[in-house]
Amino acid sequence: MELEEMKTLWEEMSQKIEKQQLVTDQIIMDMTQQKYTNKFSIILIYESLGTVICYGMAIYILFNIEKLDTWYLMTCGIFTVSLLFILPLLTLRSLTRIKSLDVAAHSYKETLVRFERSKKRLLLLQRTGIYLGFILFLVVLPVMDKIFNNKDMFTMDMAAFPWILTGVVFVLLIFFIRWGYDCYKSITTSSEKVLKELED
Amino acid sequence: MQQKEAFIQTIKDNEGIIYKITRVYAKDTEDQKDLYQEIVYQLWKSFDSFKGKSKLSTWMYRVALNTSIAHLNQNKKSPSSTSGLSLNFELPDAADHSGTSGSEWEDRMHMLYAHIKQLNVIEKGLILLFLEGKSYEEIAAITGFTITNVGTRLGRIKQKLKTNFKK
Repeated sequence: MELEEMKTLWEEMSQKIEKQQLVTDQIIMDMTQQKYTNKFSIILIYESLGTVICYGMAIYILFNIEKLDTWYLMTCGIFTVSLLFILPLLTLRSLTRIKSLDVAAHSYKETLVRFERSKKRLLLLQRTGIYLGFILFLVVLPVMDKIFNNKDMFTMDMAAFPWILTGVVFVLLIFFIRWGYDCYKSITTSSEKVLKELED
Repeated sequence: MQQKEAFIQTIKDNEGIIYKITRVYAKDTEDQKDLYQEIVYQLWKSFDSFKGKSKLSTWMYRVALNTSIAHLNQNKKSPSSTSGLSLNFELPDAADHSGTSGSEWEDRMHMLYAHIKQLNVIEKGLILLFLEGKSYEEIAAITGFTITNVGTRLGRIKQKLKTNFKK
């Protein structure tokens, strides 16, 4: 296929479309009401749900913070609460920034630059979130054990089961981090490529 | 009410533009319907603020192409959300063109889209506007590249397509 043939075919298609009615008045009006949910909205719903769970957990810890009666348990508690409050908020902010990108205000080039930059920021945040989530897993266990069972995990002799469970989760997390990093690397590389090409 | 009527008429007059853009950026028919709706929704959102600030087609191409950028990057595994709407994306029989049969014409169209889809996101937007018969000035206004840059980039894309055709 040659370029001229491409152009001819394109013109033929344009003529065909002109003969065809693709949408009715009612369908157009339905589309303006956004009766459907776009894919970003779905992600946003899941993230919002996650945020509610995190905030619920953080508030619960705050209400029971006096039970954390040693300096190290208190440190773990404050760290856990801070992460549970900050991380979801940052992710939601990044997502809404991408979703609220004004598609009418900027040119194709500007939109591409803004979109790729926002995407890179979100991915960096998600990547940091994975690492912090790993730390969170380690600090939330003694906090919860103290609040629910009034036990200090740092000083007591633990049975084998919690250690095995911790070990299994630890290994799974390493695999998850590794997988997340590969995804992150591939997407950011493609973003970098687009941004670089836009500069040419 | 008058605004809604004006919007409906605008979409009906230009539905072909949206169809062609969605076919370039979407991965299949369901995805194309999703993108079509997203574009109409975004056009409606900005219809009030548009008010003839630029040429109608410039505004339309800009919104449609920019919406497609975001759509390309969304979660590809998400289920389709458009099953409730019956969009007819079947084109009429193509036998009246160039003496070729409808299916042969469709095959050539598939090939044409396959070549365009091989291009990256920047190139896709530029070649689409070129095929639409837009002048370099109009392409520059829609894409934000300078006129010279549009010329250079299109030259490179044509070269790339020629190489791909030979493969």
